[in-house]
Amino acid sequence: MITSRRQLMGTALTLGAMHAFPGMSWAQARPLVFATFTGSWETAHKAVLVPAFRQANGNAAVVLDPMLSVDQIAKVTAARAAPPIDVMLHDPGPGLLAVAAGLVEPYPVERSAHYKDLIPVAQEASGPGAFFQVVGLTYNPETVKTPPTSWADLWDPKYKGRVGITNLASTLGTGFLVELARMNGGGEGNVEPGFAALQKLKPNLSAVAANPGALAALYQQGQVDIGPGNYNAIQILKAQGVPVEFAVPKEGAIAFRTTMHITKNSPNAELAFKLIEAALSPEVQTALMAAPYLVTPTNTKVKIAGELAKLIPDTESMKTRFVFEDWVKINEQRAGWIDRFNREMRG
Amino acid sequence: MSPAGFDGRLAWPLAAFLTVLFVAPLVLLVGLSLQGGFGNYAKFLGDPFSVSVLGDTMRLGGEVTVACLVFGFPYAWLHQRAPGWGRAVLTLLVLLPLLTSVVVRTFAWIVVLGRQGIVNSALQGMGVIDGPLRLLYSEAGLVAALTQVQMPLMVLPIIAALGRTGPDLPDAAGMLGAGAWRVFRTITLPLALPGIVAGCLLTFTASVTAFITQSLVGGGQMLFMPAYVLQQALALGNMPFASAISVIFLVAVLVVVAALSAVGRRVRAYG
Repeated sequence: MITSRRQLMGTALTLGAMHAFPGMSWAQARPLVFATFTGSWETAHKAVLVPAFRQANGNAAVVLDPMLSVDQIAKVTAARAAPPIDVMLHDPGPGLLAVAAGLVEPYPVERSAHYKDLIPVAQEASGPGAFFQVVGLTYNPETVKTPPTSWADLWDPKYKGRVGITNLASTLGTGFLVELARMNGGGEGNVEPGFAALQKLKPNLSAVAANPGALAALYQQGQVDIGPGNYNAIQILKAQGVPVEFAVPKEGAIAFRTTMHITKNSPNAELAFKLIEAALSPEVQTALMAAPYLVTPTNTKVKIAGELAKLIPDTESMKTRFVFEDWVKINEQRAGWIDRFNREMRG
Repeated sequence: MSPAGFDGRLAWPLAAFLTVLFVAPLVLLVGLSLQGGFGNYAKFLGDPFSVSVLGDTMRLGGEVTVACLVFGFPYAWLHQRAPGWGRAVLTLLVLLPLLTSVVVRTFAWIVVLGRQGIVNSALQGMGVIDGPLRLLYSEAGLVAALTQVQMPLMVLPIIAALGRTGPDLPDAAGMLGAGAWRVFRTITLPLALPGIVAGCLLTFTASVTAFITQSLVGGGQMLFMPAYVLQQALALGNMPFASAISVIFLVAVLVVVAALSAVGRRVRAYG
């Protein structure tokens, strides 16, 4: 249904383009562009999600254009009327920014076959959570003989000069700060105790990496022996033979959803919807859960098995093993926190 | 009078290219930074923390430039004095780093400077230190890495300057009785100065803007201007403030460039 002049123009242009290039495709003005993340995300989506989507949608053309959330937002903002991306993938913080900037088409929840089966935290009408990312304790089992059990272990004097964290530019760093605050009587609304805890962590700090990728590389170099880490990043290092293990702290692992959004004014909105549907389906999520991807599912119909069962036995246990943070509250204050981290952690 | 065959129109394609891709974005950047008047500039300049980030960045550039000059000048001098095959080897050695990506070179420094890196293992093996030193994520480590990464930018202009004058003048001065120090001070150094100034210019501007090396070897606890701009623009989405920081940074670098160029002009005037 055409409801606005802009859509009318878009449709007219699409029809025109189809007429001009009849050989290109009978249905698409251009291939569906999905901005996944770089690295293991791209590999997993290319191997599992894209084939499943194409099979279900008459071999529709898809292009993966991997980039960071912030770059996706920058690109779409620069060309709102004709966005170069149809499906965006976002961590919670950038996801909220994209929605607030009006870059996102609401998800047609009523037409979705899988939305109702998602874990409540993943049910987000601006774009459903298709995967969870999980942050827990990462350690080198060769130098850390007793596996850590709590975030509090990082303050143990025996880890002097061996702990690695990231700054607040990443979801990991910010989520970790909030968790520190919660452990010490604060939370999203009051991160004062979190900053105090970071101050006390300073003697143990070996590195404050600029981003999670740089942090992971430091385990490889023996620069860092213990710290907060992303479950999937650790699995990749482990597969390369780096001695690293992942442990769920007794306070719960920090989990955040990775949401998929239909870009506003996308010329391929219907196919974008179909791609997200494929990503929410139990079949795709089950395949992505298997080794080597080990992606944590959001659909309750997925029966958790294999290596991932060591992290969470079933979707029900996510409620106790995972901590979900309030990113709306976090985003409101994040600028101030980054500013404060700049000043207090400089050294 | 223009040299024969000089035609200003030859510069038009490049001028058009720069206008579209450099001047226009720069104008947009300045415009963006002035959203809401000079507030963003006042915010930066009135904040001791922000000003100290600028100060740290300029100091880093200065330290790397001095280090490059201290190591680079003797290298260039050696290059001029070496026999033909030696020159070829020395040229190759200085060009070698340019043939690998800056990311690869930077990661190599992480391996060298790490807790179990080459430097720490060697020092511990010789019993000089008990525990590993913190080299990575320290300013000293960052200066060392940047010095290596930017070295060709210092050495090549000095080699060119020394090469233009050749070894005859210093040799003649020596034969006429000047001591080594006097030859260096009155002949070699003044003749090499245009190269030194050019080298300092390139090294300084390249090291203050070396975002990759700064963030990978410097780490998240050190903040320099490029990372500050990125943080404000992308992580926080505060484009006007990020633009203001960029403009301030640009002006600060231009001041240094202008000062060095003025030195260069005076040197040429003496020559």
